[in-house]
Amino acid sequence: MAEDSSMWNTMTISAYGMKAQSERSRVISENIANASTAALTPNSEPYTRKIITFKNEMDRAYKTDLVKVEDIADDRRTEFPLKYMPDHPGANAAGYVKMPNVNMIIELNDMRESQRSYEANLGMMENSRSMAMRTIDMLR
Amino acid sequence: MSISNLPLMKAISAKVDYLDKRQGVLSQNIANADTPGYQSKDLSDVDFASVMKKLTGTKRVTLETTNPMHMPNPDMTKNTKESKDRWTYEVAPDKNGVIIEEQMVKATKTQMDYNLLTNLSSKYGSMMRTALGRNG
Repeated sequence: MAEDSSMWNTMTISAYGMKAQSERSRVISENIANASTAALTPNSEPYTRKIITFKNEMDRAYKTDLVKVEDIADDRRTEFPLKYMPDHPGANAAGYVKMPNVNMIIELNDMRESQRSYEANLGMMENSRSMAMRTIDMLR
Repeated sequence: MSISNLPLMKAISAKVDYLDKRQGVLSQNIANADTPGYQSKDLSDVDFASVMKKLTGTKRVTLETTNPMHMPNPDMTKNTKESKDRWTYEVAPDKNGVIIEEQMVKATKTQMDYNLLTNLSSKYGSMMRTALGRNG
């Protein structure tokens, strides 16, 4: 891709933004789907909430900064809540089972934010597209 | 002399170039709306009235850039600076200062200006065709 045609690069930037946000939605879905994946044995850990982080990185092929996923890390700061289920195979001596540290409300709000950012990128792409189409229409 | 050397055409392409560049900066901002520590950027304003005056002034002689290695004319829009916005409505706890609505307003304005210029340029083209005796 030529470095001068920033019009096409603009669409690439938005496309990468959308890609990053959809990756984020995937991670959030994974968290929600595993919201009750409890520990299987008293000593093991349940599903750990995943957190995605972004970074703005120079892409050599496009010669522009593009948003990339930096890392999908485990949330080690939030404590695992305990649930009283004495008949569960993962229950400890007192009858408590470690549950995943997924908070539904947080996940749903993250999902909403991710959706909003995705739509903003989509709007930007539509914007750039109509500008490009205008230029092409000048040929008529 | 080609059509692209006409002062008006030069001014139009300078502004289109600027708007194109600005659109790139704005989509960069939107794409980084959730990147921690990212502060939104914008291009510095260009006074196109003075660009126009410099291009159409008959007494003025400017240097032609015929090779990409040449230094650009200091009056041209190629010298617009990209800088971080120093003042935005708010900054999120993760030090991200992108306000999507603000960027969308800027992008819409860029698009409107772009439409104006493409229309202007095609009108100018049809004017030239009329002068050549064809049905513009």
